[in-house]
Amino acid sequence: MSALLDHLPELWQGLLVTLQLTVASFAGAAVAGTVITALRVSPVAVLRLLGTAYVETFQNLPLLVLLVLAFFGLPEIGIKAEPLTTAIVVIALYEAAYVAEALRSGVNAVARGQGEAARALGLTFGQSLRHVILPQALRTVVQPLGNIFIATTMNTALAGAVSVVELTTAANRVNLVEAQPIPIFVGAGLAYALIAACAGFVTGRLERRLVMVR
Amino acid sequence: MKKMVAVVALSLLGLAACGGTGSTGGSAVPPGDAQPAASDLLAKAPVADPAAIPPGSTMDKIRKRGELIVGGSLDAPLLSQQNPATGQVEGFDADLGKALAKYIIGEPKVKIVNSASETREALLANGTVDVVFQTYTITPERAEQVSFAGPYYVSGLSIAVKKGTTGIARPQDLNGKKVIAGANTPAIPAIKKVAPQAEIITFGSDPECVQALKQDRGVAYVQDETLLVANAKKDPAIQVVGNPFTQDPYGIGLKHGDEQFKAFVNDWLKKIQAAGVWQQAWKNSLGTVVQGEAPAPPQIGSVPGS
Repeated sequence: MSALLDHLPELWQGLLVTLQLTVASFAGAAVAGTVITALRVSPVAVLRLLGTAYVETFQNLPLLVLLVLAFFGLPEIGIKAEPLTTAIVVIALYEAAYVAEALRSGVNAVARGQGEAARALGLTFGQSLRHVILPQALRTVVQPLGNIFIATTMNTALAGAVSVVELTTAANRVNLVEAQPIPIFVGAGLAYALIAACAGFVTGRLERRLVMVR
Repeated sequence: MKKMVAVVALSLLGLAACGGTGSTGGSAVPPGDAQPAASDLLAKAPVADPAAIPPGSTMDKIRKRGELIVGGSLDAPLLSQQNPATGQVEGFDADLGKALAKYIIGEPKVKIVNSASETREALLANGTVDVVFQTYTITPERAEQVSFAGPYYVSGLSIAVKKGTTGIARPQDLNGKKVIAGANTPAIPAIKKVAPQAEIITFGSDPECVQALKQDRGVAYVQDETLLVANAKKDPAIQVVGNPFTQDPYGIGLKHGDEQFKAFVNDWLKKIQAAGVWQQAWKNSLGTVVQGEAPAPPQIGSVPGS
């Protein structure tokens, strides 16, 4: 137990980095994912193709490969960012594919008549998406988005591969000195579980709040 | 999607074709003397006197199983690295593992379980592996979790920089700078000790650390001296500065409290050192990059925790 308590400052620092990674990359993924959804449901075939290509690419490549490739590959062509920045951008782009798919299923769940009525009223494609389709779509996918948030939290552990000292890496370093893997990793695991539980609680509340009575 | 599948399939076919032409030309094993040298080494390795293995002991269980289960790495150059061409694990730790298996069983039959520094104590405690050969530095903290036979080798950490770097001559010069180290290596606590203000950035493997050094992610790379010497030899862009600044005694990890097995393994270490097997294993691996004769093996039980 003392192995864990003696090193709380390092683990706390790791937890902060994990939270930073999670929040920043999920925010980025939400924005990018919305744009991709708009592409995928747009009336222009080229844009739809672009959206599909993005989702297929990022869903079919492992995140670890993307991270290592971006970290070591991009400097070779002159693009070099801080490890934390690289990790946030890559995780955001990766999770954006999943956010886009969740949102698209939400869009598909909105009755066809809604979109047709919006267009009949003279709203442009963008306006109908913004004021009619997306607000309804979002309500139906609160829970899937919560799941993606939790997955993002867990995926941030991979940032350790590109030298970001997040919670898992911090736990590894503590264990290197203390050689007490069970208390240390159980402690780190509880922190992850706590983040996941908070996300679950928030999405549960949101879902009840936003429920549509038809 | 279909196109991608086609491309992948085509390239796989291409690879298979390459393999085919290679094997028709003769032996599939690439030229090199690692194999014969290793078998020569194992031919010299001693076998235990049956009286030294009492029934019911750990050694007896291993012999009945017919296989020694070793916790080790597959990616540590010169120490324990899997040769992609032969599938054999080669290096100093790997050869000693085989020699120990021969000592107990009579044949060098080893199964390597890829362990990591976060799992090896647990693997020993629950009996998944019999021994750990994995640059396992003996420390008093670890000795509370596992028993150590040995030390069987003393290594030291050194500093490598990009050629032309100035201002780094001693470990203290690392203070306030970004320093690269292998994740889960003893370099991390060692840097914290000599240069508390250094910012340590870690990567999973040695090639990644070298790449990061060359891309200026850090100004220095702290790693086992032998590895750094090997790297500097392969890559003229990096150089090793100064002498090792630590002494890391490597031990053979055993289940905590198994004194009988520990005495047995220590006995074996003395025998292979006397027979020159230890020195031969060093020459075949670490000796290929370090100049000179094999060093004198460390005194068994000479460090706290062993």
